[in-house]
Formats: sequence, structure tokens, C-alpha cells
Amino acid sequence: MYPSVIDNYVRPKSVDEAIAAIVDGGEDAMFIAGGMSLMQAIKSRLVSPSCLVDLQDVSEIKGISSDDTGLRIGAMTRYREMANADKLRGAYGALVDAAAHVGDRQVRNRGTIGGSLCWNYIAACTPAACLGIGASVELVSRTGAKRTLVADDFLGSPLETAREDNEILVAVTLPTPEPNTGSAYKKWGLVADALPVVGVAVLVQTDAAGICLRARVAFSGLGDGPCRSAAAEQVLIGARADETSKIGEAFEAAAAELEVQADMWADEDYRRLLMRELGKEVTATAFNRAETGS
Amino acid sequence: MTDTEAGKGWLGRKLKRKEDYRLTTGKGNFIGDIQLPGMLHLVFVRSLHAHAKIVNIDTSAAEELKGVVAVIAGKQLAEEILLMPQPIVVPNIPANHPTFGPLAIGKVKFHGEPVAAIVARDKYVAEDAAELVMVDYEMLPYVGDMEAALAPDATRVHEQFDDNIQYESSLTGGEEIADQEANDVRVAKIFEEADLVVKRRYRCHRCGVTPMEPRGVVADWDHAEGLSAWITTQRPHIDRLALSDILSIPAEQVRVMAPRDQGGAFGTKAPFYREPILICHMARKLGRPVRWIESREEHLMSISQERDQIHDLEIAARSDGRILALRDRIIADGGDGCEGVYWGYLMPFLGAVLLPSGYDIPNCDIKLKVAFTNKAVLSPARSFGSYPARFAMERAMHTVARELGLEPTAVQRMNLVTEFPYTTATGFNYDSGNFIKVLDNLVEKIDLTGFRREQEEARKQGRYLGIGFGLGAEASGMASEVLVQMENQPGYGAAMVRVDPRGKVQVCDGDCSQGQGHETTVAQVVAHEMGISPDDVKHSQGDTDNTPFGCGTIGARAGSYKLSAVAQACRHIKEKMSRIAAHDFSVSAKPEDFDFIDGEIIYRKDTNIRTTFAELAYRIVMTPLDLPEGEEAGLEHTAYFEAAMPMICFAAHAAIVEVDATTGQFEIKRYMTSEDMGRVINPQIVDGQITGGVVQGISNCIFEEFVYDDTGQQLTSTLENYKLATAADVPHVEVTHAPTPCPYTPLGSRGIGEGVPGPVPGALSNAVTDALEPLGVEITELPLRPNVIWKLIQQNRQAAE
Amino acid sequence: MYKDVTITINGEEYQEHIPVRLLLVDFIRDVAGLTGTHVGCTYEGVCGACTIQIDSEAVKSCLMLAVQADGHEVATVEGLAQDGKLHPLQEEFNEHHALQCGYCTPGILMNAEEFLKENPDPSEDEIREALIGNLCRCTGYVNIVTAIKSAAEKMA
Repeated sequence: MYPSVIDNYVRPKSVDEAIAAIVDGGEDAMFIAGGMSLMQAIKSRLVSPSCLVDLQDVSEIKGISSDDTGLRIGAMTRYREMANADKLRGAYGALVDAAAHVGDRQVRNRGTIGGSLCWNYIAACTPAACLGIGASVELVSRTGAKRTLVADDFLGSPLETAREDNEILVAVTLPTPEPNTGSAYKKWGLVADALPVVGVAVLVQTDAAGICLRARVAFSGLGDGPCRSAAAEQVLIGARADETSKIGEAFEAAAAELEVQADMWADEDYRRLLMRELGKEVTATAFNRAETGS
Repeated sequence: MTDTEAGKGWLGRKLKRKEDYRLTTGKGNFIGDIQLPGMLHLVFVRSLHAHAKIVNIDTSAAEELKGVVAVIAGKQLAEEILLMPQPIVVPNIPANHPTFGPLAIGKVKFHGEPVAAIVARDKYVAEDAAELVMVDYEMLPYVGDMEAALAPDATRVHEQFDDNIQYESSLTGGEEIADQEANDVRVAKIFEEADLVVKRRYRCHRCGVTPMEPRGVVADWDHAEGLSAWITTQRPHIDRLALSDILSIPAEQVRVMAPRDQGGAFGTKAPFYREPILICHMARKLGRPVRWIESREEHLMSISQERDQIHDLEIAARSDGRILALRDRIIADGGDGCEGVYWGYLMPFLGAVLLPSGYDIPNCDIKLKVAFTNKAVLSPARSFGSYPARFAMERAMHTVARELGLEPTAVQRMNLVTEFPYTTATGFNYDSGNFIKVLDNLVEKIDLTGFRREQEEARKQGRYLGIGFGLGAEASGMASEVLVQMENQPGYGAAMVRVDPRGKVQVCDGDCSQGQGHETTVAQVVAHEMGISPDDVKHSQGDTDNTPFGCGTIGARAGSYKLSAVAQACRHIKEKMSRIAAHDFSVSAKPEDFDFIDGEIIYRKDTNIRTTFAELAYRIVMTPLDLPEGEEAGLEHTAYFEAAMPMICFAAHAAIVEVDATTGQFEIKRYMTSEDMGRVINPQIVDGQITGGVVQGISNCIFEEFVYDDTGQQLTSTLENYKLATAADVPHVEVTHAPTPCPYTPLGSRGIGEGVPGPVPGALSNAVTDALEPLGVEITELPLRPNVIWKLIQQNRQAAE
Repeated sequence: MYKDVTITINGEEYQEHIPVRLLLVDFIRDVAGLTGTHVGCTYEGVCGACTIQIDSEAVKSCLMLAVQADGHEVATVEGLAQDGKLHPLQEEFNEHHALQCGYCTPGILMNAEEFLKENPDPSEDEIREALIGNLCRCTGYVNIVTAIKSAAEKMA
């Protein structure tokens, strides 16, 4: 219920200061962003950081910006900002969908995209949405070295990522969307906006005739954490929005391909059903967004 | 005494609650807000296993931590205080009441049982120390299945008993075994000859009511005055006696106070639990104030679990839908049974008694067995024991109707009790009411006929709409006649009413509110009786030092018992004031010749003869000169209201759902209730009880479930996993009324609130069953979840193919 | 282990020397003595009874350390009424019987106050969505929704 003793707390003002602070903080130092997941873990004493490096004042990693190469979402950008971001609509609508239904409005007022990705909770929405839209992450370490990883390489098993202890995730980047691209995300849980039993993110890019040229399909809520289905993506390519049986097949393929677990919320069969039914719905929305651009 | 027109104005009025100003401005006074100088904090170390022998407890590291004042474990504690059971909290019912202490002795019997406790100066440090307590366990076989637990060779939860049968009895056929057997034979014969027999197994899951404020205790010890304890409780007077007995402190040295505000209870704060015993003991032992505030995790692991029952229920019916006989074999999982007053089995016991509900079924054969298991003890939850019984009964009534091709409400209606007073086959009395009026009101307001047309159209389009009805005859409190047997305590309502020299009225009440708005309704009754403003009434509650014995805020008794006592006490005082007024005005008047209106006391035969309520109060209390012969000074009276006939309130609920047959997900499109709550004191408060109870019932039915794994690990000890319905998960509940005033209470009121969730599972599961009738789906188990419904649809489709 | 912080609550500045691990909700309740903010869950942060505002945004004070609020403006239910005049939400909660035990109420008020600034004319569904982070066990939410709608109308 109450955190273990925490020796130190620092609040750096820049990325450089933050990296210095995490190194100085020693082995058990942790960054804290919005803290919506981390504080649960600290209060349940699942983790006992000796030092917390609070990123709230690092303004250079806040907000959504765009340039010739694409979109850049600062790691400290909160769900509430993503949920209302016009820049993300259409091609990256999946991220808007996910952000708009994380937890509740109090959580969305504080929780951040960077925090969610680095925590990579088993049933979190944001990692799956990022995977679905083909996001990359930018990591900076002490040497000033910056590396960029695609979400597929960054996200590991639940609660694991490719981030090194002394690295800070500074931004999520997205390429300038190709024309006729749309994405969407939807989840199902027992109560409203709960952690998903299953969530599905789909991105489609079509040609002028509405035929799918490129597809990405990702899931949340599965035992291995956020994951893509190559089989589903393969089936979607060449499909049109009105080919509902083909779209259905894509998610049959995903359900067959991916490891699906049973827990107290749903058995394997029901999870597979959710993958299919949510998949069909989300794909329809993604096609629609690809066509209309919003 | 006749009502005056002005006086009548305070009853039935939507008076805004007196409690709200402090509660909306952050000035409430809850258990967690109480601070005493030098107060210490207690935390429990709780068992990590469901059933295990305690080999060793090493508290040395915890004791050495700076800031820790004391560490205690079960064996040592057992040398310092007495153990449960103590007679004051044992029902007069033949059952096995296990021996237990606040901390486990020798072995643990459920995941979450307290094993040791830390007392520290700081609550954070107390938790640090709790982590340092090392307990060595030797695992014992987990007893988790109630049916397997009842087998003669099953591992025993309590070695002191020969088996795991805590309670076993017939609720029908009388006290004698021979009479019961004769009854069984008679019922069996009816079954053999019936046109239709419906037999099903209905299973209700473990869930409960979980108030937003968990429990807490603040205890202080004074060498001269003894123990003062603030406890989150529904019955401070019983807590006082029980603490006195178990801690061997003379009762006059024990003062229990319910905090002025409590964050909901719904039954969970009614038992005499193990934790307060230890907090009070430690305060005495250390001579310092000690506080314990329950965490949500502790709450969900150890209390608030109810409803865990299996019903093998059979109904014999005539082809026109008339029910001829009812047979039920009920098993309940009572958990470890260690809990004062209720002991795990009392909920299923009352549920079995209330099983026939509002139906006239003279021929019943109902038997109940309650098993000990390695789970948390069942503890009271609104719709006490009867939620599963209502589910089973209402599902069966629906099934009978459909097997006969009849509209379910027609079969329900045909079988309702119409003549009062009525005694059920289980011996429960219904005072009065008009059940058919309540049901007809609902059928009309929800437009059943119109819905059936809509449903038919929808089915043509492949949409699955359904309607379901659930009924319930619920106790409005219980008289001493029932409570002395069931809970070893009286059932009367009590109130001390005192008129002060300024004409203000104080009501001292030994019960305590947990959100029911008693400050407001008590003030309305006093205002109505005395012809004064509710603003001039002060309600003091829950302090055993200055209130008459209160039977507890339990079982919807305030509206029927407490408020009746308040009215009686007011009437007694009014008579005295009238006598003295007649004397002072030298008129030969009977008490009823005076009207108490708008702060004045007026002689009806000559309205020029009048005085104010405040002046007369001052005259009697402060200038007791020239009183009528034999009249005492002072203006206060304590009244006890005992029911001539046990009151009930009757309700009918209807749900309309649409089920997505592809996913089993469903939407509650409409939820409506029809209520007989007698004469209403405050309609807003009554309707609030109903909307709240319905949503608790819905939440129980669909979202909530306590889950234990194969080894007895409880997996649902956070609100992340024990899911409560949010505002976005539930419909706008519509409340309608079809009242029949109660002839047995002075105001015609009936208590309502406790039983509200009861009809919900029947209404909801009947609605889903009705919606999916074309697919042959029949709901027999709760929770009513999309994945379960989907599976049933699949099974029926496969069977059809 | 300890840090000096300056936290402003309802316009009043608190300069305190506190343990780093102290939860913000305990700072508000135990240090500042403002007990209107309640605690209803263990560590999960699901119940919302502890909802306050930081820099005018609703957040759960049990999911923050007090040190994270250093230098910020905190608003609690005690600051909702201004100059002795109740906020329309407080009035409408009373008018429409939107509370029973009142334990969840302060958190709901502090969430709803911000929500109505963001959405001054909400539909019933929008209000219900906005309340997902605040559990109530007494009312069935019906009257809470009505009261918030009514407050929105009064404030328009």
C-alpha cells in the first residue's frame, strides 16, 4: 500500500541532466514519467527504486510536432494530448483511439506515451497501437549517442524492452503518412475502458481504387505481450473494405498463428473470437479512414 | 392522534439531505479522519496460503526496526485474551461455531487470514516491518470445492469438528425429523402427480457488496474510563458487549462509537469481526491509541464475499401455470466460518427461508447444507443470502412458464400471495401488501405488450431482444421474534427524543448511518410529529455511551422500526405537552385537541388559545412550577417499537436487453423497478436506495466475482481484478411506485433498501434467456458474462447441427 | 530519504520537509490535514476517491508522490466553495441526491469540475464516460449523472 523507502528524488530539466541523474542514481534508480503504472508497482512493492528521476520538467520531450520526415511525439506527451491530436487522425488514428480509452480521464491527464512504452505492460493499449502503426522510438544515452528502433525491436516480452538502464526514451516517431492510409484500434474488456482482454490495431494503405497495398496488424492482451500477425497482414494485402469474408479470414489466420492464453476473463476460444470480431470492426474503420483521411 | 395538514407536509417530501453540506465540502468525519495524539498504526501480516500449518513465526527483524512498538502473533495473543465464539455473538441455531482468535493459531485456513500484527509509530514503517516477519508454513491440502468438502473423508478445515458440515437442516416440515420426513413424502407425491416438473441446477458465484470505504478501528485506553473505540460498524451496541466479553473488560468500561460518517456498508460492517478485537486489545496493552485502517486488498481478501450457493431446485406445476410444490437442495460454501454474529452460514440460512419469495407455495421441501472450506468466510451483503435464492427461483419460474408456452409474468402473477397476513412454508411472515398491483404496474409501465411486438420485428431482422422479470418479497427489518433466534439480539426499534428548553429536538439513536440519510429522515419524522422545522432537529447516533440500545442498521429496518420508535417517542412527548398546555390554559382538553403546527401548539376548539412549541418547552423544562398533579418535569422519552407483524416490502424488476449473438455481449437497454415501500418519508432517499441497490445487483451479476485458483490463492484482491461497474457500464435505472401503506407501523412506512439487489439476477438472466430463446440458450449460472453466453450459443448450435 | 517541498493547496502554501516516499494523498490528508480527499483502494488507483486537481487537471493523488507535486498548485474539495458560496456542482449534488455515504463524492466533484470546463454541455453518455475513474457504490450513478448535467446547465 505504501512505497518502500526511496532514498532520493531528482527532477532534471533536460535530457542530458536526466541521463546524468539516472547514472548517478545507481543501479536501482528509475525514471518516472506520468507514473500511472509505475506508482502501482511501487506501492505494491513490486519494485523498490532507490532513486526516482522525475521527467516532468524535461520540456524538450513533450508535445507533438511534425516536419518533412514525419511526426514526432515527445515521450512525455500525455494520453489526453494524443486523444485530441488532429495531427494523428487518419493514418495514425489507432494511437488516438488507444489514448482516448486508456484507464480513465484522471489517468489520461498524467499518463504518457513514453512511460507506457517503457513499462510495456502485458495488456497495455499504447504499445500495441504503436506496433500497429509502425512507430519507431528514439533512445538517447550518456554518450550522446542516439539510436532509433522500430517498435517491433523495442518492445520485448511483457515488462521488457530494448531500452538500456541508462538510456532515455525521448520520442516516438512516425513517418509522414503515405496517401490513403488509415489506422484504428479497439479493445474489449469486461468493464468500460479497462485493460483489454484483447485489443486490435490495424493500419491499411490502399491504392486509389481502395485496394490494400500495405497492412499492419497488432494485438494487445495476449500472453506474449503486444505482437503483430504476419499471417493476417498477408491476407489483408489485396483486400478491399467490402471484402468482409477475406478480412474475416485475415483474423482467422491471426487467431491460428498467435499464442492465445486463457485466464479468468476469457478462455482461448473467446479470445480468438474477440481477435476476429474486433479485427473486422477495426479494419473497417481503418479502411474508412484511409479513404476519407480522417 | 390525527395528522395536521401542515404536519403532513414533511412526510413524503423530497427534503434535501442535511448530511450533504459537510460531505460535499470535505468536512465529513470518517474513521480515517480520526486523529488522536500519539496514535500508533497497526498492520496485519496475512497468510500467503489457503491451508497450511504454521511451523514458525520469526518476528525478530520486525521488532528491531526503528519505529516499531510491538509485534504480536497468534499463540501469544491467545494467552492474553479469550477466543471466539463468545455467546453474545452466537445465534440460537444449531450449527458448528469454530474456535478462533484474531490471529491464526497453529494453522491458517484461508489466503489472507491474519497471522501476526505490527504496531508502529508510522504506517509506512509498519508496512516495512510487516515485510520482515518470516513465517514458515507446511502446506496442507486445500479444501476449495463445497461439494467435495462435504464428503465424510474430506480434509477437515477445523479439526475440532468431525467433518466440514457447518450447518445442515430442513427449512420446511417443522422442527421434528419425523414431521419433516412426512412433509418430504407429501411433497414428493405432488411431484409425482404434477403435469410439469422443472428441475435445474442453479449456481450463484461468490461476490459481494464492497463499500468504497473499507473497515477501520481507532481504539484508546484510559486507566479509569476504560476502552473507547471508534469502529466502522452497523451495530455499535453489539460490538460493545462482544468486546467487553472477549477482552474481559466490564461493559460499563467499554464505549463504542460509530464515526459520524461511514463510507457505505451494505452488510459488510454488521458482523463482529476479529480485527477490532486485536486493535482494542493492543490499545489497552500498550496504553496508547492504536489505529487500523483496512486496505482494499485486505477487504477483498477477507470480507465482502457472499452469495456462493448451489441450488438443485425443482418445481411441480399444473398445466395452467399454478405452482403446486417446490423442492430445493441448497449447498453453500461458507468459507472458514470464523466471524461473529453470522459465522458464514447465516446468509444461506436466511436465503433458504426467503426462497419462496412472494409466491404462494404451501408445499415446499427445502434443505440446506453449509460447508466449511479454505476460503474467506461468507459475510453479509445486501440481499443477504437471498440473491442466489431469487436467481434460482425466478429463473425456474420463467422456465416453467416457457415450458408451458405461457408469458412468464402471467405465471408469476397467478402464483403471487394475495391474502395477508401470510406465512410461508418456511415460517416467514408477510404483514401486508398488494403484490399483484406492484407487478401489474411494472408490466404496464414497461409496456410488455408493445415490447413483444418490437421483439418479434427484431427477430425477423436477426436481432435478439429480450425481456426478463424478477420479483422479491424482502424483509423490512426483523422483529425480536426472528432476531433473538437468528442473531441472539433484539429486533425492536429504539429512539430517545429530547426537547430542549429552546424547543429544539435531539434524537439519540443507537444505530448508525452509512449513507442512508437517517439524519434527514429522522428530522422529517420529528418535524411531522411535532410541527417544527427539520432544521430544529438534531440527530445523534452510534455512541453507546448516550444512546438507547440499538439493534443495528441492518436489514432495511430504519424505515419500519427506528422511525416508528421516533414517531412513538414524539407522540408520547406531545401528549405530555398537551396535558400541560390544557392545564396552563385551564381548558378541559384531551391531548388530541391540540394541533402542533408550524412551531405552534393550538387548541383546536378555540384557535385563539395557542402557544409556541419553544415557549411551552421552556416552561416545562425550565419553570416546572404549577405542573398538573402527578406530572414530572422534563421533556424526553425513549420509545421502543416492536412489530406486531413482521413487515416486508415487495418489488418487481424488469430488464430489456439486446444480445449480440456473435459475441455474447449484451446491452441493458432498459431497467425498471416497481416498488411497494409503504408510505414514503423521503422519496428521493428511497429512490436512491433502489437505483443504488439495482446497480449493485447488476454489478454482482455481470462484473464481480471472487476467484480462487486450484491452490486457494485468491486472485481478485484488487479493484483491477474484482471489477465494479462504472457509470459507463450500467443503464439509467427507472424507478416506479405502487405503494400499499403498512398498517402495522405508526407512519405506514416500510423499511427498504437491503433487499433491492435480490430481483436483479432473475430479471437480467431471464432477459438474456428470453432474447436467446430462438437459439435455445438457458442461463443457469452466474456471473452472466459474454464469454459464457457465447459458449452456450456455440453449444446449442453444435447440438442443433 | 527526505526532501523539502513547497506545495500550494487551495491557494495556501505548505513548505514541508517530507519523506520521498510519502504519497501525495497522505501529504494532503496527514500533513495539510485536509481529510476531504479519501482513499478507497490499496495500490491500484482504480476507485478515484482520492481525485484532486493539479494545476487545474484532475488526477488521482494516491498514484503520485508528494515530491512530484513540489512547485505545483493542488486543489481539493475543501477549496471548491468560494467565499462561502457553494460551487454549482455541490449545490446540484445536494438538490438531486447525488450522494449517499459521500465517500466517493469529493473525488467525483474534483473530476467533474474539470470535466465541465472541458465540456460545458455534455450528454448523459459523455458524463458517464467521464466518470469511469470514479467508482460509487451507493447511488447507482443515476443521480450523479443528473446532478452533473444540471450543474452544467446552471453554469452555462
